[in-house]
Amino acid sequence: MKTPTKGPVFLRFLIVSLFVFYMLLPIVATYLFSLATRWDRSIMPEGYTWEAYQTAFNLSYFRITLKNSLILSIASCLVSFIIIVPTVYLTQINFRKFRPLLDLLMIIPFAIPTVVLALSYVRVYTFQPITRSPFLLIMATVVYTMPFMYRSVSNSVDAVDISVLTEASQSLGGDLWNTLTKVIMPNIYPGILSGMLLVFATVFADFTLAKLITGAHFKTFPMLLVEQTQIDGNVAAALSVISFTLAWGISMVLLWFSSKASKSKKAQPSDKAYIGK
Amino acid sequence: MAYLTLADISKNFNKNPAVEHFNLDVEKGKLVSFLGPSGCGKTTTLRMIAGFETPDSGVIELDGEDISNIPPNKRNIGMVFQSYALFPNMTVLDNICFGLRMHKMLKNQIVPKAREVLDLVRLSDTANRYPNQLSGGQQQRIALARALAIEPRVLLLDEPLSALDAEVRVVLRGEIRRIQTNLKITTIYVTHDQEEALSISDRVVVMNKAHIEQVGTPQEIYREPKTKFVATFIGTANEFHGSVCGKDSVKSAEFLIKTNNASLFADGDEVFALVRPEKIDVYSYKPENIDGNVLEGLVDTITFRGAETRLGIDIGEKVITADVPGKDVFSYGQRVWVAFDSNACQVLK
Ligand SMILES: Nc1ncnc2c1ncn2[C@@H]1O[C@H](COP(=O)(O)OP(=O)(O)OP(=O)(O)O)[C@@H](O)[C@H]1O
Ligand SMILES: [Mg+2]
Repeated sequence: MKTPTKGPVFLRFLIVSLFVFYMLLPIVATYLFSLATRWDRSIMPEGYTWEAYQTAFNLSYFRITLKNSLILSIASCLVSFIIIVPTVYLTQINFRKFRPLLDLLMIIPFAIPTVVLALSYVRVYTFQPITRSPFLLIMATVVYTMPFMYRSVSNSVDAVDISVLTEASQSLGGDLWNTLTKVIMPNIYPGILSGMLLVFATVFADFTLAKLITGAHFKTFPMLLVEQTQIDGNVAAALSVISFTLAWGISMVLLWFSSKASKSKKAQPSDKAYIGK
Repeated sequence: MAYLTLADISKNFNKNPAVEHFNLDVEKGKLVSFLGPSGCGKTTTLRMIAGFETPDSGVIELDGEDISNIPPNKRNIGMVFQSYALFPNMTVLDNICFGLRMHKMLKNQIVPKAREVLDLVRLSDTANRYPNQLSGGQQQRIALARALAIEPRVLLLDEPLSALDAEVRVVLRGEIRRIQTNLKITTIYVTHDQEEALSISDRVVVMNKAHIEQVGTPQEIYREPKTKFVATFIGTANEFHGSVCGKDSVKSAEFLIKTNNASLFADGDEVFALVRPEKIDVYSYKPENIDGNVLEGLVDTITFRGAETRLGIDIGEKVITADVPGKDVFSYGQRVWVAFDSNACQVLK
C-alpha cells in the first residue's frame, strides 16, 4: 500500500487516540485532582493549589514509607536477578528438558490470587525472625513478580544462540563466571533490564502483599496511600502522583544508564594501547 | 607417535549410536577432515574432542595426555563454528582479545597478538567493527583468527564454510589450508562436501552411520576405496551387482565384467564391480582388439560440463555414466559402445 486512503488513516488515528485517551485520562485526572481546590461542581477544577503536596510531604510516615518501598523494590529486583538469570541460563545450556517445566512453574504466581499467596506465607513462616519480617515480604514479592523477570530474560535468551556463544567462550578458555558476565549477560542485557523495570514498578505499587505480610511492622508507600484515601482524597492523589513520578523517573534513569553504558562501550576504542605506541 | 589419538570412542544419544568404535591417530601439524553424510556423527566426534560431549567409552589422548576429564575451557583446543559464533557485543578486536585475556596473557602483549592474527586472515582494517557489520565470509575469517590467537593445540572446524556461497567457499578453504600449513597447526575439519575434503586435507576420514568407513590420503580415498560406500560417496561410480565368477570376472544379471581385482574373493561371493566415469571410453563404432569390457548401448543423457561431457548410456540393465573429452560429439539416441579396462574395475563387497 503506497498511498493509504484517507478512511483507514483516519480510522487508525482514531483507534490510537482512543487508546491514548483511555490510558492517559486517569493519570491526567489524578494529577489534576492532586492540585485541585474543589472539583465536584464543574468539569474542570475550580482552582489550583499545592496544599495537598504540602500535607503529603509533612505526613509523619511519608519519608519512612517511601524509603521502605524503595528498599523493597530494589531488593526484589536484585534477588530476582540473582535467582532468575543463572537459572534461565543453566536451564538453557545444561538442562534443556526442564525448560517446559520451568515455563509451567512460572505461570503459578499469576494463577494464585495475591491474597492467597500472602496468607500462605504468613501461615507457613510462623517462626522468628522470619515471620512477618521485611525479609519474608521480599521473598513474597520476588515470587509474585518472578514471571515478569523470567519471561523477559528467557525471551532474550531465546533470541541469541546462547549455547553456541557459551561453547565459543569455553573453547577460548572462558570459565562459567567470565562466560556469564562478559559474553552472555551483555547479550541478554535488554531482557534483564526490562524484567527488572517490571519487577520494580510492580513491587513499588504493591499493596496486598505488604499489608498482609508485614502490616504495620514495615509500612510501605502504597499502604500510606490507601490510608490517605480514607482521610483526604486530594492528599491521596498527591501521593499517587509522587509514586507514579518516582517509578517513572527511576525507570528513565535505569534506561538512560543502560544506553549510556552500552554506548560508551562501543565508543571506547579498545586498541588504545596499540595506537598509543 | 600420534599427536592426537582417539581410541575406541563410542557415544550414544538415547540408546542410538552417534559414534561407534571410533579409532583415529592424527599426526602433529596435519589437517584431517571428517567427511560423511548428514547425521553420521562428525559433529559429535568433534565435540567430544573439544570437550562439549563426553564419550560413553574410549580414550582421547592429546600429546600423550588423556584429556577425557579436562573441561573444555582448560583443553586449549580452538573451535570454529558453522554459525561463526562471534560475540555480538564485542568488536572484532575484542572478540580476538577475549581468548588471550582468558589465557591471562600479559596485558601489553594482547592487542599486538590480536593484530597479528587479524593480519593473518587479511582483515586488519575491520578491528573496530562489530560482527554484524561484516559479511559472512569476513565473520568466519574473524572466527578463525579468534581461534588461532590462543595458539590452540588442536584446531577444530565444524563445516566452517557451509553457510557461505560457492565462490567465497573456494577462496576461504584455500586460505584455511594456507594458514594451517604455515602455522603447522593440527587441524580437524568437518565437512560433508567431498570436493572440499579432498582438496584441503592431508588425510580424509570417511564416516557413515556412526562408524569410520575408511581413513586415507585424498588420493587413496578416491582411487582405492575400501568399501562400496566410499566408492559411491566420493565421486561417481558405476556399479555392477553380481557374483564372483572365476579369478577374473564378476557375473551380473546380463553381463560378465572382466576385472583384475576379484582374486580377494571366493567364487560365488556377492560383490559390486565399480568403474569411475573417467575410466570409460565411448566409441561410436564397435571397437576391435580391446582387452577388457565392451558394452553396447544408446546415449540417454548428455551433460556438458566444460572440459568434459558426461554421458548417460543406457545399456539395457542400467544407465552407465561416462565422462568423455568435450571435443567428442555424441547425440541423443546414438548407438555407442563403452569400453573399460579390466584394471579400471574395482571389486568391493
Ligand atoms: N544432543 C543430541 N541429542 C540427541 N541426539 C543427538 C544429539 N546430537 C547429535 N545427535 C544425533 O547423533 C547423530 C550424529 O549427529 P551429528 O551431529 O554428529 O551428525 P553430523 O555428522 O555432524 O551431521 P551433519 O552433517 O548433519 O552436521 C544424529 O543421528 C543426531 O540426530
Ligand atoms: Mg554436524
